[in-house]
Amino acid sequence: MNRAAVLTCTNLSIGYQNQKTVIREISKDLNLRLNRGELVCLVGPNGSGKSTLIRTLTGIQPPLSGDVVLLDKRIADHSADEKAKNLSVVLTTPVQAGFMTAFDIVALGRFPHTNWAGRLTDDDTEIILSAIASVGAGDLTHRFIHEMSDGERQKVMIARALAQEPVLMVLDEPTAFLDLPHKIETMRILRSIARSTGKAVLLSTHDLNLAIRCADRLWIIDQHGTLISGIPEDLVLSGIFGSAFGIHGVNFDPVRGEFTIPIEKKGTFALTAQKSVEKIWTWYALERIGYLPAEGEREDITVTIRKDNGNAVWELCTGTVARECTSLAELIECISACDEGDDSH
Amino acid sequence: MKLNGSWLREWFGKTTFGILLSLGILGALFLLDIMLGSVNIPLDALVSILTGGEVKETWATIFWVWRIPKAITAVFAGAALALSGLLMQTFFRNPLADPYILGISSGASVGVALVMLSSGFCGIGAVLAGLGLLGDVGISFAAMLGAFAVLLLILLISAKIQSNVTILVLGIMVSYISGAIVTILLQFSDESSMHTYSFWTFGSFSGVTWDQLPLLLFLLTAGFVVSFLLTKPLNALLLGEQYAASMGMDYKKVKNAIMVNTAVMAGVVTAFCGPIGFLGVAVPHFCRSLFVTADHRVLVPACVIVGGIIALATDIISHLPGTDIVLPLNAITALFGAPVVIWVIVRGTRFGRGVIT
Repeated sequence: MNRAAVLTCTNLSIGYQNQKTVIREISKDLNLRLNRGELVCLVGPNGSGKSTLIRTLTGIQPPLSGDVVLLDKRIADHSADEKAKNLSVVLTTPVQAGFMTAFDIVALGRFPHTNWAGRLTDDDTEIILSAIASVGAGDLTHRFIHEMSDGERQKVMIARALAQEPVLMVLDEPTAFLDLPHKIETMRILRSIARSTGKAVLLSTHDLNLAIRCADRLWIIDQHGTLISGIPEDLVLSGIFGSAFGIHGVNFDPVRGEFTIPIEKKGTFALTAQKSVEKIWTWYALERIGYLPAEGEREDITVTIRKDNGNAVWELCTGTVARECTSLAELIECISACDEGDDSH
Repeated sequence: MKLNGSWLREWFGKTTFGILLSLGILGALFLLDIMLGSVNIPLDALVSILTGGEVKETWATIFWVWRIPKAITAVFAGAALALSGLLMQTFFRNPLADPYILGISSGASVGVALVMLSSGFCGIGAVLAGLGLLGDVGISFAAMLGAFAVLLLILLISAKIQSNVTILVLGIMVSYISGAIVTILLQFSDESSMHTYSFWTFGSFSGVTWDQLPLLLFLLTAGFVVSFLLTKPLNALLLGEQYAASMGMDYKKVKNAIMVNTAVMAGVVTAFCGPIGFLGVAVPHFCRSLFVTADHRVLVPACVIVGGIIALATDIISHLPGTDIVLPLNAITALFGAPVVIWVIVRGTRFGRGVIT
């Protein structure tokens, strides 16, 4: 599929320059493109240069070398007004304005389109209201921004960026400070914006598993500033996450697509159950307390899940004990009790 | 869509009503300011003066020579202070910013102190006196020079720095330096010039003559017009300079326009009326609460009108109608202004962040 590119960069080198001396080059030889209708997530560990890349791509900071091209022109050659009509941003800095309703804030997105006095035409009003509606914030329209939760405020800021009617939206960590359901909600909104309006959406995030699930394309920067671009599933299979984010004491689980705490192995288990949610979470619970699947070895404990009147019942069998448990908490308690009994011998 | 259209109309209706109401109050206070004072002029006499009827000559003199210029000055000075306070609060995103935060009044006070206090012991005063620059005009001139010297300094330095917080600190430091210079000058001056100086710091709308009025009105009106032209970028700045720049606002240009405009308005008022405090910080908050908006398309006209209202009210009170006593204007503005600021801050905790932070 060859979609129209909104932003491309060729042989881009980013970093900080002081006077004429290159002080710090963060990343080089970047050849990237953002296409219409695509959601791209930029991920990388702290200090890898995500912000620098975003600042360079949005033209806030000049590149050390190479070009960033927005539509048909280099980003630096766009007038401020022209750029604002094609590119909008959502920043990490929280907006703390008193006496402003969601409508007022989103209306500011019309800035590059209105006259000197900022007068809103009927068309502008319609665009503002539909931007608010498309992030699902219709009920917030006339509420004051300082009375809103972080999640609600983030929706309003996304609506503002949308009302600017750009071809490209760039968001710097839009899911930071949000709880998990709101993170997912924000991602869902952004993906649907990309799909339905054909805008290109670029966002940086620390929520890797969310990015893997939602993004059309991932850009991963590692600590050395190497950027790898690809679709999430390919990148997971290539094992790039483990090396890009490699810190001691954390593992990337390619099955779950998320980082996990390495398990201190205490023993092995055999789990017999129908394919069910209970089976998955029993598996997770056993792993958490240090038991790994036996996989052919002799198991230390055996757990069987059966249904009793629709309720799950766990049958635990260790070398010394056989018990029935009605919750995972009880199961874990029994296993721990057995462990301590073993230790005392 | 239809529902919202009507909501918008209702909102504009409310705002227009509020503006018209405050215009009415402004007119009424303007009349009162002319009528009340050490000598009270009754309303029918006022009508006679204006229609050329028979009236006591002292009343006519008081009316034309004192009251009219004083009332006009109060309206324009109050409006200018409120507007420059609004500009500074939005620009610095700081609820306590006032027209003098750039150090403008401090610069003006150094100018005034140099003229008034140095006349006793060094050559500057003698030179100025020789040029006929002492006296009221000399003081205004010196104050304006001082204000613009500070403005120039701030503009020069701010061209090299990005953060507006740094400009804020810079302004405060300039104030300290100016204060130090004034203190040193006070140390070396005689009692009568010290008295004149402290009288200047009290603030007053009464010192402006018909000769000076056109200049004052011209400069302040220019300031009002520029403020109206700045409404759109000021609204964008509510989201912070980065967002404003991302929406296509030319930050440098707007920054300079805001600073120069504030300095001209605050500098001119300080030059002609002395450093009048609290009006500039209190009125913008008052207007935001009154009109329940942060939209500068409403706040700019509102500050002009309400600034005029408060200036007239404080002027009437400071003249203690019916007595010969005139209280320092600054004492009255502080008595009124400080509670407003306290109210805004205390209310801020209940109302979320009800002020710009």
